[in-house]
Amino acid sequence: MPFCPNPDCDHRRRLGQSAEFLEGVAICSDCGSALSDTYLFFAAVRKPEEVRGWTCPQCGSINREDLALCSCGYDSNRPVMSDMRDTMTAPNPIESFLLRDKEAQEQQRVLALEFRGSAREYFRIWIVNLCLTFLTLGVFSAWAKVRKKRYFYSHTTLDGTPFQYLGQPVPIFKGRVIAAIAFIAYYLSSHFFTSLLPYVFAAGAVLAPWVIVRSAAFNARYSAFRNMTFHFDGGYLDALKALYVLGIIPLFAQGMMFNWWGKYAIAAVAVIVLSFAFPWWMKRLKNFLISRTSYGNKNGVFSATGGQFFSVYFRSGLIMVGVLIITGIFSAAMIALITKKSQIIVLLTLIPIYAGYVLAFAYVQAHSSNLVWNNTRLGPLRFQSTLRGRGMAGLYVTNALAIIASLGLLIPWAVMRTLKYRADRMRVLQEGELAEFQGSDLSAVEAIGAETVDFFDMDLSL
Amino acid sequence: MIILEGQYYDGRRPTAVLARMEFTGREAILTSGRTSERYPVNRLNVSPRIGKTDRFIALPNGGQFQCADHVFLGSLLQVSPSEGPVAWLEERWGVALAGVALIACILLAGYFYGLPAAAERIAVRIPVETEQALGRQTLDWLDEQGWFLPTNLDKNTRESVKHGFDRLRSGLPLKNYYQLEFRASRIMGANAFALPGGAIVITDDMVKAAKSPEEVLAVLAHEIGHVELRHTLRSVLQNSVVAVAAAAITSDAASLSVAVAGLPVLVAQTKYSREFEAAADEYAFKLLKRKGYSTAAFASLMERLAKKHEQEERAFAYVSTHPVTAERVKRARAAAQE
Repeated sequence: MPFCPNPDCDHRRRLGQSAEFLEGVAICSDCGSALSDTYLFFAAVRKPEEVRGWTCPQCGSINREDLALCSCGYDSNRPVMSDMRDTMTAPNPIESFLLRDKEAQEQQRVLALEFRGSAREYFRIWIVNLCLTFLTLGVFSAWAKVRKKRYFYSHTTLDGTPFQYLGQPVPIFKGRVIAAIAFIAYYLSSHFFTSLLPYVFAAGAVLAPWVIVRSAAFNARYSAFRNMTFHFDGGYLDALKALYVLGIIPLFAQGMMFNWWGKYAIAAVAVIVLSFAFPWWMKRLKNFLISRTSYGNKNGVFSATGGQFFSVYFRSGLIMVGVLIITGIFSAAMIALITKKSQIIVLLTLIPIYAGYVLAFAYVQAHSSNLVWNNTRLGPLRFQSTLRGRGMAGLYVTNALAIIASLGLLIPWAVMRTLKYRADRMRVLQEGELAEFQGSDLSAVEAIGAETVDFFDMDLSL
Repeated sequence: MIILEGQYYDGRRPTAVLARMEFTGREAILTSGRTSERYPVNRLNVSPRIGKTDRFIALPNGGQFQCADHVFLGSLLQVSPSEGPVAWLEERWGVALAGVALIACILLAGYFYGLPAAAERIAVRIPVETEQALGRQTLDWLDEQGWFLPTNLDKNTRESVKHGFDRLRSGLPLKNYYQLEFRASRIMGANAFALPGGAIVITDDMVKAAKSPEEVLAVLAHEIGHVELRHTLRSVLQNSVVAVAAAAITSDAASLSVAVAGLPVLVAQTKYSREFEAAADEYAFKLLKRKGYSTAAFASLMERLAKKHEQEERAFAYVSTHPVTAERVKRARAAAQE
C-alpha cells in the first residue's frame, strides 16, 4: 500500500501519521507528493516549526501566540474555568477531530477585540482637556473631542492592532460652531420669535439628511485600521429617502402631537402610529448607514428586520408597563394605609418608576446594539455582541452613584469601564481572509492633514 | 542610530508585517522581510502622542509603520503639531491635580460671583422691547390653553388696584413698559406673575385673599421688582450657562448626564431663583416705603397664604423656586420696623 513520504504533509501534521492510500493511487491528495511504497519517517514526525503558538488543551488546534481565545471558546487567560469544563465533558477524540476539520473548512476564527484604556491615564486626559475647554470658553472643546477619540480608538485593538482616529480639531470646531448657531436659532425662535419656528423646523428637516451624511462621512473617513480608512458613500438624496419615505408617518404623527392638549384621541392615535412606525424607520436608517459604509472596497451588509427592532422596543415597553403596574398597586396600598397624604409618597413612588425607566432604557440600549451588530457583515467579518439589559443597567446605576459620590471625578472611570464592558461582550469572527479587503485611493491615509481639509469636511455629531 | 521595531502596513490590505525602522541622520530605512526602503526623514509624518499607545509613522509611499512610542519620534514632523503641548500636559499628575483645583475654582467663583454679576451687566444692555414679544406670546398661550380665564372682578376693585399700581410704578425707570392684567385661574390659585417685557398678571384669588389694598400693592411691588431688576432675562442667561457647564462636564457620560447632573443643576438653578425672589422682596420693601406704604402688609399676606403647606415647604427648601415663607415674613417685618 502506498504512503505519503512527505514529512510536512498536512495529513501528517494533523494526525501524526503519514497518509495511507489505496493501491493504484500515485499522488497524495493532501499535499500532492508522489507516493512511496514503504511507510517512511514514522519515527521522525517533524513538529511544524513555522507555527509559533499554543495548543488548545480542549480541542487541540494550534492558536497564534497573540490570541488568548481559541476558536472553540477556550480562553487561555482563564484556563481554570475551561479545565473544569474539560473534565466534565471528556473530549471524544473523533468528535473533536471532526469539529476541527469542519472549522478548518469554514476557516472561521475569532479576532480578539480588546479595550485597554486605563482610568488613571484617561482621568488626566479628561481633566486637562476639560480645564482647557473652560479656560477658552468652549473653543478648545474641538481639540478635547479629538484627544478623547484618539484615546478611545488607540486603546481599542482588533487582532492586536489599535484603531486610529485621524480627525483634526479644525473641522470639528467648524461643525461645533454651526451646531451652536443652529441651536441658538432654534432656542431664540422657540422662545422669542415663535412666528419663525415653522421655518426653523423646515430648515432643520431639509438639513437633517445633510447633517447625517456629513457626520457619517467624516467619522468613516477619519477612522482607520491598519493604514486603511473607512469610507461612507451615502449621498444627500439617499439620506433623504431613508429618513423621510417611511419617516413621514411618525413625522406626521409628531406634527399632530403639537396640538394634542385636550384632544386625547388624536394623541393616542399619534402615539400608536409613532410607536409602530419607529422600529421600521430605525431599521431603514441603520441599513442606510451600514450598507453605505465600506472598508477596503467591502460594503457593510445589514440583515436585521423592522420586526426585530419592534420586538426590542416592545419588550422594553413591557418592562416599563410591568414596573408601573407594580408601583401602582404598592402606592395604592400605601395611600390606603396611610391616611395623611403627602408629597413624600408621590416622591417615593417615583423611585421604582425611575428604576423601571433605567431598566427599560438599558434593555433597549443593549439589545438594539446587539441586533445591529449581530446582523452586520463586513466582507469576511461577522460580529457577535452579547450585551445584556441587566448588565447595562447595573453599569448605569453604579456609574451614576460613583459619579455623584465623587462629584464627577469618577466620570473617566465610568467611561473606561463602560467601553471595556462593551468590548468584552463583542466578538469579531473572521470567515475567510483579511486580504479580501483591498485598499484603494478611497482608503488612503496619506492625503489627510489639516491643510487638505475642505470647507464642507466637518463633524456635526456631538 | 535609532532602531524601532514594529509593524508595516502597506495600505493595500489590512495585514500586519513585522518591520524595523532605522534612522541614520537624514535617512530612515524600513526593513521588512527581505525588502528594505529608504526615505528622507523629513518626509515622514508621525501621529500625535496619546497615553502610552503605539505611534503611527506615515511613509511617503502611502505605507505606515506602527511602533511603540519613543522620545526620538518627537523630533519628526507631526501630523497634528497643536496636540503636542496638550499631550505633555496630559502626562503629568501635577497638572491633573492643578486642573481639578482650577475647575473647582472656576465653577465655584463663576457660580457664586461671576455669572450673576455678568448676567446683571448683560441684562441692562439688552432693551426691554426684545422681551415684550415673548411676554405677549406667553400670555396669549396661557389664555388659549385655559390656564387663565377672563377676570370676574368688578370694575371698582380693578380700578382701585390699577390706581395703586400706577402710583407704585410712577417714577420708575421702566414705568412705560408696565401693563397690569387681571385673570381668573382655577389652576394657579392665589398668585401673581411678572411676564417678560413688563406685563404683570394678578389672579382674582390673590386680590380676594388680600384683606387690605396694601396687601395687593405689596404683591404688585414684588412683581415690579422682578421687572425692574430684569429677572426673566437674567435667569435665562444664568440658567443656560449652568446647563451648558453641566453638559460640558458630563459630556463623556452623556447617557447618564440627566441622572447625575439633573438634581445638582436643579439645586443650582433654583438657588438663583430664590435669590431673585429675595431680591424682588427687598426691592418691594424699598418701593413700598418710598411710596408711603407699610411692609407689614406683605408679611401678613404671605403668612396667610403659606399656612396650608408649611411642612412640605421645609422639606423641599433646596429645590424650591421661592425662599421659605417664614424667612420672607421675617425680613418684611424687619423692614417694616426700620
